Amino acid sequence: MFSSLAHPWTAGESLGEHLERRGVSRRDFLEFCGGLCAVLGLGKAAGVRMAEALQAVKRPSVVWIQLQECTGCVESVIRTAEPTIGNLVLDTISLDFSHTLMAAAGHQAEEALQTAMAENMGQYLLIVTGSVPLNDGGVYLTIAGRTARTILEEAAAGAAAVIAVGACAHWGSVQAARPNPTGAVGVSDIIKDKPVLNIAGCPPIGDVVTATVAHYLMFGRLPATDGDGRPLFAYGARIHDQCPRRANFDAGQFVEQFDDDNARKAWCLYHVGCKGPATFSPCPIFQWNGGTDWPIGAGHPCIGCTERNFWDTMSPFYDRLPDVGGFGIEQNVDLIGAALAAGATAGVATHAVMTAMHQRKLRRELPVMDAPGAGNVPPSTTPSGKE
Amino acid sequence: MTTATARPRSRRALPREGDFRWVLLWGVPLRVMHWLAAASIVVLAVTGLYIGKPYFIAGGDTADHFLMGRVRFVHFVAGAVLVMTGIVRIYWLFAGNRFERWHALFPVSAKAIRHMATQAWTYLTVTPEKAPRYLGHNPLQQMSYTSLYLVAIVEVVTGFALYGQSNPSGIFYEAFNWIGPLLGGMPNVRFVHHTLTWVFAIYVPIHIYLAMRADVLEHDSTISSIISGGRMVPPEERFEDD
Repeated sequence: MFSSLAHPWTAGESLGEHLERRGVSRRDFLEFCGGLCAVLGLGKAAGVRMAEALQAVKRPSVVWIQLQECTGCVESVIRTAEPTIGNLVLDTISLDFSHTLMAAAGHQAEEALQTAMAENMGQYLLIVTGSVPLNDGGVYLTIAGRTARTILEEAAAGAAAVIAVGACAHWGSVQAARPNPTGAVGVSDIIKDKPVLNIAGCPPIGDVVTATVAHYLMFGRLPATDGDGRPLFAYGARIHDQCPRRANFDAGQFVEQFDDDNARKAWCLYHVGCKGPATFSPCPIFQWNGGTDWPIGAGHPCIGCTERNFWDTMSPFYDRLPDVGGFGIEQNVDLIGAALAAGATAGVATHAVMTAMHQRKLRRELPVMDAPGAGNVPPSTTPSGKE
Repeated sequence: MTTATARPRSRRALPREGDFRWVLLWGVPLRVMHWLAAASIVVLAVTGLYIGKPYFIAGGDTADHFLMGRVRFVHFVAGAVLVMTGIVRIYWLFAGNRFERWHALFPVSAKAIRHMATQAWTYLTVTPEKAPRYLGHNPLQQMSYTSLYLVAIVEVVTGFALYGQSNPSGIFYEAFNWIGPLLGGMPNVRFVHHTLTWVFAIYVPIHIYLAMRADVLEHDSTISSIISGGRMVPPEERFEDD
């Protein structure tokens, strides 16, 4: 629909002019901005203001560097059945440098990065996907002979703001899971001197990235975040509290196995390990691929991919409780607990019998002439077996 | 009065008769809080195990049921009761009598620590007549009850952290969202909260047994003391904490 090849960005062109040339009508664009405002929780009236703000943008420089990752985040952002205006906006503004998307390679690519950074020093938006391996001097990821850490620090030095997209850039994701052989960390573990916004998820929803960039273009600053640097407009509520299957949870209707009748009735997946109650994400509302579906909608429990350390803490994915220490015994914590409680009960019962036998022996040691009523009741009057 | 031939240690195997004195140990607030906490812990354990692993599935129309909703409501109310008893107990650590005050939370003196070991030894070897005599809690009891307080505090704090997640702008989230990172993620918080339930399940039979055992062996209305507040002891008997 909107081919980027047919109409490349020309110098001095504003985003509004560019989109118009590429066949985006004002109505469509307003609709898109209204949708973004809804995503950001800004209210309907802000849509026009956002449209004006975005249209006036002269091609902002966005440098998108990709470190230790699978490129799934880029896929999530760009890959849709039909390119939306959001993809187009993001696609257009992020052309300055992107490892995966750029046509240039080798020295040309490095040159493009250096040029983009030098020309927009202190003004460009830095988007990072992928983690930074620190072990053994960072040898586990080098591009053009430089380590990921060096590349990131250099790129962040001149950036106006840093957006970490995806679980890898957020905290390290799967390569940072135990035992984390490469010492992978997230962007915010390296960049301490400027705010780093984390767009959490493995992968995150593309709309959240678009909305965050739109927010930055409109207000000149990053949106408000939670304690983990995640934008509140997207990560301000639990999946559990927005879930269409919440009614089944409250009613006590649970899927017990993936192919049982209850699964066909689309009941709650809590029993089969859904991590929705511990996961903050807009998945139930935004959904994926243009609102087509999302994991729980497709009958799969949430694995909690927007939460820090989810590979370690949220697994096993199909069990309620975590597998602390990797022994697997935690799955049977109730069995162990019940066995210990039963053992304690049996233990005290045994102890009671031993105590009774001991008391009986002590009483036998009392002299027979011990007169009744003289301070003690004779053993014969004590009901036996009660002690 | 007493028989000359019977050794004192044997005498304690038998019920006494004659004069007694009644010693007040537990004030009304402590007794009321004990039973409220006991009831709430039973309710919390039962409802908590259901929430952790829902063992009843409600069939039929979703709109006809609110099983998990009700169970969670009861769990939260019982949790609130437990927290209330904790607050009163903390106040009573400073306002109560010497058996209830914070000094009585754990053994401090060398003698008390020695008695703790002795007490444990007499339990293991089933020689109750050799156990040190205390009016209030003996040192081993002090340690075990204070440990249970700590377990309850961990349960309450992790419970609030889990509860707070439903409203990230609420006071519980604000106050307890440091727990998750501390324990390495909310699933670990859930795991701790879940697993510690079994401490209570193990504790209760031991607690009830030892209370009944003391009542039977000492013949001094130990069980009654958590209802009436005091014990009946022979006037001549000497106690470590008299």
